[in-house]
Amino acid sequence: MMSSKLSEQSITRREALRLGVALVGVSLLAGCAPAKPPAEPAEVPVVAEPPTVPTPIVAEAGKGATELIYWNGLTGSDGVTMVEMVERFAEENQDVSARVEMMAWDVYYDKLLTSLVSGYPPDLFLLHVSSIPQFADKGVLKPSDPLFDVNGGPLPLKDFADPVFSETLYEGTRYGVVIDNHGWGFWINTDLVSAGGFDPAKRPESAAEFIQMAQVLTIDKNGKNATESGFDPGNVEQWGTCISWMRVTFLTTLFQFGGNTVDLARNRALFDQEPARQAMQFWHDMVYKHQGAPTPSGFDSWQTMAAGKLAMIPEGSWMRNFLLEHPQINWKVWKMPPFGPQPATWMSAHVLYMPSTIDGARLDAATKLSVYLSDHGLDWAESGQVPARYSQQEQLDPEKYPSTVVFAEAFREMGKFEPPHVALIELQSAYEPELDAMWNDVKPIPDGLRDANARVQAILDRAAT
Amino acid sequence: MGIGAGAARLVARRSFRGWRKALSGYLFIAPFMFFFLLFVVGPIFFSLYMSVHRWELLGRSRPFIGLGNYQEMLTDDLWWLSLRNTVYFAVFTAACNTVVSLLAALAVLRPIRGQTFYRVIFYAPVVLSVAVMGIICQWLLNTQFGFINYVLGLVGIGRVNWLGTPGTVIPVLGLATVWWGFGFPMLVFIAGLQNIPAHLYEAARIDGAGNLPIFFRITLPLLQPTILFVVATQLIAHFQVFGQSYIMTGGGPGRASQTAIMYLYQTAWRFYRMGYGSTLAIGLAVVIIIFTLIQFRFFGERIEY
Repeated sequence: MMSSKLSEQSITRREALRLGVALVGVSLLAGCAPAKPPAEPAEVPVVAEPPTVPTPIVAEAGKGATELIYWNGLTGSDGVTMVEMVERFAEENQDVSARVEMMAWDVYYDKLLTSLVSGYPPDLFLLHVSSIPQFADKGVLKPSDPLFDVNGGPLPLKDFADPVFSETLYEGTRYGVVIDNHGWGFWINTDLVSAGGFDPAKRPESAAEFIQMAQVLTIDKNGKNATESGFDPGNVEQWGTCISWMRVTFLTTLFQFGGNTVDLARNRALFDQEPARQAMQFWHDMVYKHQGAPTPSGFDSWQTMAAGKLAMIPEGSWMRNFLLEHPQINWKVWKMPPFGPQPATWMSAHVLYMPSTIDGARLDAATKLSVYLSDHGLDWAESGQVPARYSQQEQLDPEKYPSTVVFAEAFREMGKFEPPHVALIELQSAYEPELDAMWNDVKPIPDGLRDANARVQAILDRAAT
Repeated sequence: MGIGAGAARLVARRSFRGWRKALSGYLFIAPFMFFFLLFVVGPIFFSLYMSVHRWELLGRSRPFIGLGNYQEMLTDDLWWLSLRNTVYFAVFTAACNTVVSLLAALAVLRPIRGQTFYRVIFYAPVVLSVAVMGIICQWLLNTQFGFINYVLGLVGIGRVNWLGTPGTVIPVLGLATVWWGFGFPMLVFIAGLQNIPAHLYEAARIDGAGNLPIFFRITLPLLQPTILFVVATQLIAHFQVFGQSYIMTGGGPGRASQTAIMYLYQTAWRFYRMGYGSTLAIGLAVVIIIFTLIQFRFFGERIEY
């Protein structure tokens, strides 16, 4: 019975043949179909291309025939500023339309890499200046030398602010167009600093002065500060300062003590040197000895700042818009206080790149957009970042951009970069967890630095082979 | 000869009939097999191929290095550390999830008021994405503003840095995962419990058995196939933990919650070392297979079907 049922359900020879012919026919038809519909099919309905994978934020600007795809990792308010600028560009350039896709930096890196490997990268993409060796070494970036006036291009080479601009030169070739300078500074809650008996206009002039400020401004629930006896470190209501982003706070402090992560030749890790120990020890002492800062893990520095419970925070130039969203906080920015003997602060830059494969009308349009964004650096200052060109930095209105003016000056005076390397992300991933372990007191500083040094050295050695 | 030719024709006809019968089956599974071969089997073999090469994304050359990546894996302390964290998380979470989901299934099977409501409530977190779950838990566990520390503060317990302490980070990630995911094994257990014949319980009650003996002598033994299924699938799933630690701790403090998949992801997609990343994937697959075989070896034999 069962067998006869199965037999009834099985298909006949004729049906099998029909099915086979139909499958072959469909395959042949599919194979013969044009890859894309004709460009201008007069009155013939155009078959829409399959939609691309949605990204967190996508903005379309303009309706011009040349379609540009521009990716970046600006998912905050800076992304809004960028989209507005691209929209203005599209209004002024009717022949170009642009699709701006913004995604979180980690997703962005994955997607960008996949697109470069697959041969379908965006026409324009934003990365940090430190990414140049990593990508230029693989031959996927288009050199930007022709864009500068010394080579007949529209961009004034000498107007681009150093030290960032020099970093865009890799093995004699220039890559990308720098659109800003950004980096590390010190944001303070002026009300809390004043209430602690300090003048918010006066930056601490020494490490000792800074430590004392942080202690006085750290107050427990009984109103005692960290210099007073009976201070309860388990019930702190207001913190003097904090470590914030570990890698960058470490680098800033390391530079101030005269150190670096690797040597100039990129052959040797330098975590076993005295400056690295001093930089680690400075903030470790701030947390566990002076009690002027919380254990970094689990501490939300931005929300604490917004809640008015944090007096001073080392943070990036991009914090401006976050604080503007919290008008109850009265704030001010200092150049990085001196923790060590040499003035220094970490800095970086956003750079627009084009893929090496771009050409024709898209190359022209991407060049136009790059030049437009560079020329309108003052508009980009709305994002909180410092414009990349001296002439634009000089035009910054101190009333409107008080933090940007301070950062611009600080970067010119004391800005320092982490040494670029073809395996920079891997190097950072090797030592960052060690910083985390040391500053969270999970690992003693000598052990953490020894491990960081060994891991970084192993990557340098492998990259050299 | 004539008989021979006739027999051959008969055999051929039968063979064609058999083929024709089988064809419909093959056609039914063809779409699945196509995608299975393309997206599962193909990548597995390609991973094996990549694992014996120094395969870097965007690399100008991809030289064959034999077992070089495997040698590196065996001496890579970060791999072993990640694997240890993963095993700890997987075993802890699978155990907790099995117990919690079984208890929940027993609870919601009881004839109580609002039975359906409880089933929905218990299952609801399953529909959250790992990112949403991670952010919710991160806020709940926040040292300064978190609800859990707030409640602890009300009873005089100081703030606990749940995600920033090496001793608590993995258990806390595991418990967050249990809250998020126990709804699905609960459903499996409900199905398993409903399959146990009611007359066994009736007979036991007539014989005067209490709740605990009934549970341990009837429910648990007859639920063993379900338990094996739940434990095996939970372990396999939790061995591949990524989102929870990636979102809630970033692998910290230090590397206390860095998992094997996190390390694999970093290696392949952050450092562009696809060859070594493939090797780590194969290493993890081998570990999962070993654990699964052990479970079947120790639990499978005692199953009463």
